[in-house]
Amino acid sequence: MSNVIETTGLVKDFGKVRALDGLDLGVAKGEVHGFLGPNGAGKTTTIRILLGLLRADAGTATMLGGDPWDDAVALHRRLAYVPGDVELWPNLTGGEAIDLLGRLRGGLDKARRDMLVERFDLDPTKKGRTYSKGNRQKVALISALASDAELLLLDEPTAGLDPLMEAVFQEVIRDMMAEGRTVLLSSHILAQVEVLADRISIIRQGKVVESGTLRDLRHLTRTTFTVETTQPASAIAQMPGVFNFEPNDGQVRFDVDAEHVGTVVSALSGLGVQAITSRPPTLEQLLLRHYGDEMAAHNGERAEVAR
Amino acid sequence: MTATTPARGGGTLVGTGSLVRMMLRRDRVKLPSWILGISLFWLYYTRLVPTAYPTRADLDAIVGMMGGATGRMWTGPTYFLDNMTYETFIPAAYGGYLILVIVLMSILLIVRHTRVEEQTGRAELVRASVVGRHAPLTAALLVALIANGATAGLIAIMMIADPIFSTGGSLLFVAGCFASGLAFAGLTAAIVQVTEYSRTATSLAAGAGLGGAFLIKAFGDMGHEHGTLLSWFSPMAWPQQTAPFVLDRWWPLTLSVAFAVATAALGYWLAARRDVGAGLIAPRAGKARAKGWLGTPVGLAWRLERRTIMWWAIGLGVLGMSMGAFAERAVPGEMPEALLVVLDGAENITAGYLAYMGVFMASIVAIYAVLAMQGLRAEETGGRGEPVLAAAVSRWSWLGANLLVGTIGVVVIMGVAGAMTGLGAASVLGDNALIWEVTAAHLNHVPPILVVLGVAALLFGLLPRATGASWALVAYGFIMGTFGALMDLPDVAFDISPFEHPARMPLEEFELVPVAVLVAIAVALVAVGLAAFRRRDLDVT
Repeated sequence: MSNVIETTGLVKDFGKVRALDGLDLGVAKGEVHGFLGPNGAGKTTTIRILLGLLRADAGTATMLGGDPWDDAVALHRRLAYVPGDVELWPNLTGGEAIDLLGRLRGGLDKARRDMLVERFDLDPTKKGRTYSKGNRQKVALISALASDAELLLLDEPTAGLDPLMEAVFQEVIRDMMAEGRTVLLSSHILAQVEVLADRISIIRQGKVVESGTLRDLRHLTRTTFTVETTQPASAIAQMPGVFNFEPNDGQVRFDVDAEHVGTVVSALSGLGVQAITSRPPTLEQLLLRHYGDEMAAHNGERAEVAR
Repeated sequence: MTATTPARGGGTLVGTGSLVRMMLRRDRVKLPSWILGISLFWLYYTRLVPTAYPTRADLDAIVGMMGGATGRMWTGPTYFLDNMTYETFIPAAYGGYLILVIVLMSILLIVRHTRVEEQTGRAELVRASVVGRHAPLTAALLVALIANGATAGLIAIMMIADPIFSTGGSLLFVAGCFASGLAFAGLTAAIVQVTEYSRTATSLAAGAGLGGAFLIKAFGDMGHEHGTLLSWFSPMAWPQQTAPFVLDRWWPLTLSVAFAVATAALGYWLAARRDVGAGLIAPRAGKARAKGWLGTPVGLAWRLERRTIMWWAIGLGVLGMSMGAFAERAVPGEMPEALLVVLDGAENITAGYLAYMGVFMASIVAIYAVLAMQGLRAEETGGRGEPVLAAAVSRWSWLGANLLVGTIGVVVIMGVAGAMTGLGAASVLGDNALIWEVTAAHLNHVPPILVVLGVAALLFGLLPRATGASWALVAYGFIMGTFGALMDLPDVAFDISPFEHPARMPLEEFELVPVAVLVAIAVALVAVGLAAFRRRDLDVT
């Protein structure tokens, strides 16, 4: 299997703070890989190590078959990067910044650039200092997406974009997927990753805690059912793997662990189902599973303080 | 009901007091540094003059240099001529520069607390709370009043304590400083309403406003020893026209106060006619595409630096031209003894003067070199270096491109400054060969500036946070070049300064060895800086 990005045991310390604590990440060729985690989890630090802007204190990283630190320039010709916080030169226009960054990378496709400027609805004649955060983001995105890079490193690329532009972004990324490019998409916007990603790695406190396809991860969580039956459904509440059972105005609502869905559905079929909806777990729920203990601890602390 | 009804009255000034406190708190280091720095600057000159010109004869000798049209252009009206004493001479000769820095403090203060706040969006947050429409501007003007008052007060105490100066004249002198600071605070308050960008506001206020006022005064004062009608059109002339310690007239300051009130009122009037964050003049649209050359690290560095280089060349060209024109006065017998020592040429004072110009310009241009490296550091910490280094640009080519452009800038600025100094000297002395000689003399002083650039590059690579420490070398070089000869110092004190090594052309013949050694040192420093930068993390947050 040819992984475009492969890191093992990456460690990075900033003074006393350990930003990465043995990070293992694998991104396969041609996939959109969602890199998911809350602020401060180490997403940006990982990407900066992959770009050779920071040097890892321990562990190994390979990208496109090269070493991110030693082969930085050669690798950068084959990738495009969108930082999470785009800063532009105050006295260069957006159009100039797009061209400049594209050329520094080794050239960009003019027709594609113009198409993207159009689609993202950017005024390229304005000076960098006048752009809002969203517009600065568009400048970096257009410059990256107009390149023919085989790998895209996108660090929260749509923070600051409105929903309309977010949709444009998703379309463009789908085009890129069709062209067989690899995308590492870091985000804490779950819906975006859910829509685009083939595989997901969840990072927490400098470590990847879960990695796999969305389906793999969903096995680990619960599906939510809302059912209307002719006969009372209260017995369902006693079945193994059923949680949060709530009767509500003739309907019942409950969550079921992935491995018990089969038995619960067979039990329901005997109750005269009139309407049934089931919802797969959202990434919020996946994340809550990983950060739930942290939040619980946090709430506990707060409760203690309150007391 | 009372709780939900917004309070009426108080209106547009609500919150001014809290804003003043916030501004003073934010400036708790900056303003005291300015005020103390300005006061020490003045203390230095009031102490320097009696030391450098200890006798009556020395003092009279300066008249030849300061009393002419060129001298007036640089200093101001010469009311002291009838009664030349330290008391009448010092404020007339150096007071203009004291006012210049006080005015600069006021301009930057107003821009910082008004337009910068709006540009960053912080003003929006402030104005969204219980703060009146005119409160931010009023608070900024009050802080300017406080800062100017503190400066004037401190200088007044120093002068009154000094036996040289009488109390009445001292009070008039500092009142002139105070009123001028407020006059330009008012002018800036009007200017910041017009432009959307703080940098445009600063360049308008400091360049067009202060620079224009200085030039009008300079040309006005050239015409007559008490200035001409033209002088009176410059706010910079009014405090000097009070002729402190000579005529002691207060009335010209009414002009300064009236100017301050009128311009501040204009500021309020304009502020009421625009939106928060907007200017009265809409920014112009730029190019939709980058030119062909803007696609390499050198192209980017050149694009970011070219305007700065141009303004430095223009500024130092004008400075050089007028200092070159001063060469006429650099004749033995018209110069005080101390100046002869500094100029290092008792037998050929003109050549000594022109040679000193080269050292002087080099130490000024070294400021540009440090600023260029600090600019690159700001690119790094400001997050603009990251996308460049994430493209196919190596650390070496990024830093190297900026050092190359910095070197080009140094050569261009020194070349222009030298040519213009030579032109000024040639025009008053009637010797055209001086144009080339003085240009060559200036270029001969480029290598020490490159050493400063090299030190800054070394620090940038090795200890990026300490890049600013290279200022120490600039300051040291300036002090050694300008005052070193007056102090009884061991040779090693001079040898440390790179500026002391190139031959003092045109007084001395060109020497290759010192220049070659300095270039070699600069190259070595840069090499270590590049190697260190290649090895360190990029400093981004």
